[in-house]
Amino acid sequence: MSEMESDPGEIRVFADYDGDFNEEADVVVVGSGPAGSVVTYELAQAGHRVILVEEGPPFTPQEFRADGNISMARTMREAGLRTATGTFMPILQAICLGGGSLINSAMCVRPPPFVFDQWSTLFDLERTTRADLDPHFDAVSEFLGIAPTPEDVQGRRNLLFRDGCEALGIPCEPVDRNVQGCRGSGECYTGCRARAKQSMDISYIPEAMKLGARVLTSLQVQRVLGGGSRVRGVEGKVAEPFTGRTSHSFRIRARTVVLAAGCMATPVLLQRSGDLANASGQVGRNLQFHPGSAVAGVFPEDLNPIFGATQSYQSLAFLEEGFKLETMWSAPAALAVRVPGLGAELVRRFSEIPRTAIWDAIASTHRSLGSVKARFRSMNPVIRWNLHPQDLEIMLRSIHVLAQIFFAAGAEKVMPGVGGLPDEMHSLEEAEALRDHPIRPGSLVTASSHVFCTTRMHGDPAQGVVDEVGRCHGFDNLYIADTGIFPRCPSVNPMLTVMALAHRQAQSLSERI
Amino acid sequence: MILLVLLMAVGVAVFLRLAAGYPATSTSFAVLAPREAAFLDAAGETFFPPDDTLPVSGGHADLPGYADRYLVALPGRQRTLVRALFALFEHFTLVSPARGRGGFRRFSSLSPEQRFEVLRGWESSGFYVRRMAFTALKAVLILGYVGHPQSLNALGLSPWKIESPRVEADFLYPPIGEGRDRVPVRPPGEPSPARRPPLVPGFDQESP
Repeated sequence: MSEMESDPGEIRVFADYDGDFNEEADVVVVGSGPAGSVVTYELAQAGHRVILVEEGPPFTPQEFRADGNISMARTMREAGLRTATGTFMPILQAICLGGGSLINSAMCVRPPPFVFDQWSTLFDLERTTRADLDPHFDAVSEFLGIAPTPEDVQGRRNLLFRDGCEALGIPCEPVDRNVQGCRGSGECYTGCRARAKQSMDISYIPEAMKLGARVLTSLQVQRVLGGGSRVRGVEGKVAEPFTGRTSHSFRIRARTVVLAAGCMATPVLLQRSGDLANASGQVGRNLQFHPGSAVAGVFPEDLNPIFGATQSYQSLAFLEEGFKLETMWSAPAALAVRVPGLGAELVRRFSEIPRTAIWDAIASTHRSLGSVKARFRSMNPVIRWNLHPQDLEIMLRSIHVLAQIFFAAGAEKVMPGVGGLPDEMHSLEEAEALRDHPIRPGSLVTASSHVFCTTRMHGDPAQGVVDEVGRCHGFDNLYIADTGIFPRCPSVNPMLTVMALAHRQAQSLSERI
Repeated sequence: MILLVLLMAVGVAVFLRLAAGYPATSTSFAVLAPREAAFLDAAGETFFPPDDTLPVSGGHADLPGYADRYLVALPGRQRTLVRALFALFEHFTLVSPARGRGGFRRFSSLSPEQRFEVLRGWESSGFYVRRMAFTALKAVLILGYVGHPQSLNALGLSPWKIESPRVEADFLYPPIGEGRDRVPVRPPGEPSPARRPPLVPGFDQESP
């Protein structure tokens, strides 16, 4: 292998690698999603030599594709076709510089105190209360300019959610987002061409590069080097964008390794590294999701739904019951998949899309557990997960509440998307069928991009993988910084929480290096 | 000898079923086979028959062309999975034939009424996996059909015309597939762009 020390502040992409190579740094961060980017920036600012490694490529607006299928094929792991078995569910996870922040809807939500109270009580995490984390939430929020979505880019389909909630007395609010100068184009999921979304690739990462951080993209880390109580770095292969074909080898020696590869990739990487950091037996276990269910409502008037922020109104009123309500939008053709039927009936329903709003619920299904294991000769995971009957009832309840909000907002019909029930419901009375419907996991079409707990934090080393600052139990210099360290699903969109945890982690780590 | 003849007969039958008799396509595809194009045309006509709602029907929305572009974008394993999905629908009539005469024929060779009934059977199946397979096929076809420029225009949902403002990061990253030497250079005299682009009101929709 040749020594190919990259320059401070430099980025390397697939075309730059022409042979095997070695690198060296104080800290190597694996994964450029929200957590990895925060850690990289904070450590670079503290004066450490940091290398940020990302398997995917950097995207510019010219690389974004409006078509939902093709966009997912380019920006998501397994081309957007990753699924859980057990209870079948598509799982959407990014592979690009900036990770999920490039293609999420930029929702930044602080979990309410009860979430952290549960974490502290159930998982021996005494310093992880909401009050402990608020300074870190503040720091990230200030950096990204997180603010409520302004009224002028809400669009009618989002404001109708507000109207429906207010009519029923349900508290709701505009969503805080890491967006500056939103134009309401509703293109968050396929990449923000307006460059308004402050995804990591245009916010934290450039700032980290100015401070000397080196960014190496198209590198698939396949193994963490070391053992005992210390690690020495990582190694892997160069991976071609989109095809994933691997070629040259690389090795990065570092005094500290931070794994921020995501809740699926990090446990697989540990398993592929000789079952590293798994004295507790918890690596890859306790998998949890926020499964999402979308409900469509058709209104009498044209909503011009193409205008408006992607997800910009929400209700946190039901968090303690186990679900969160929010508005959503996506590429129109992708949303059309939600339209029931076949043949002439289906085509006629397409004409209703301009009058349609889609709202969704994400459920805190902490009773529904699963696992992640390395797939044979692959860095992709085998994902097993089963939806618990009680969680299923919560999801059905959330759909019922959404139907009520739709009718309160003036919808003329609702399409709940529940198997065994009519495709369309035209009144509150018809929607009552949702209340006691005998439901099975296969009755709902769900998907999730919120994934948690596969390397969970726990104060007791026998029951968790990392401690309160993300350091692997039993290791001096191996850290994990992604949603895998959540001890339980957080009830709200996780990006801001994982960034706040990463911010705290970086401070602690910097003092130890 | 008898076994050999039997094997050959089975082989011929399998070939005839899977690959023979499909019309040649007038368009050349990057990866899509004529048998897949025939299936997609047939499925498109069944899912999206001619109707006053939208200006194009499934048979005229170039769904094979769309599927070809999608398959090209997929890595190997996922490409194989999607092609297997097409083959499953095309040949499942061997396992569960359509009603009426010739119900064992390939999906693309069935009558329009038989195709509709076959797809309805998938949609309303008691087996979760069959319903999921139907949803997966429907998703691929709908993205091609509703995403067709004429469909989007008719619905008033054409994408915005947006001129992306240049931000700091645009002078850091090369286009995908290019090396660092292709990182755009900031023109002399151009002010350093703000990290936060200004709000620019007003929208133009692309013409069809």
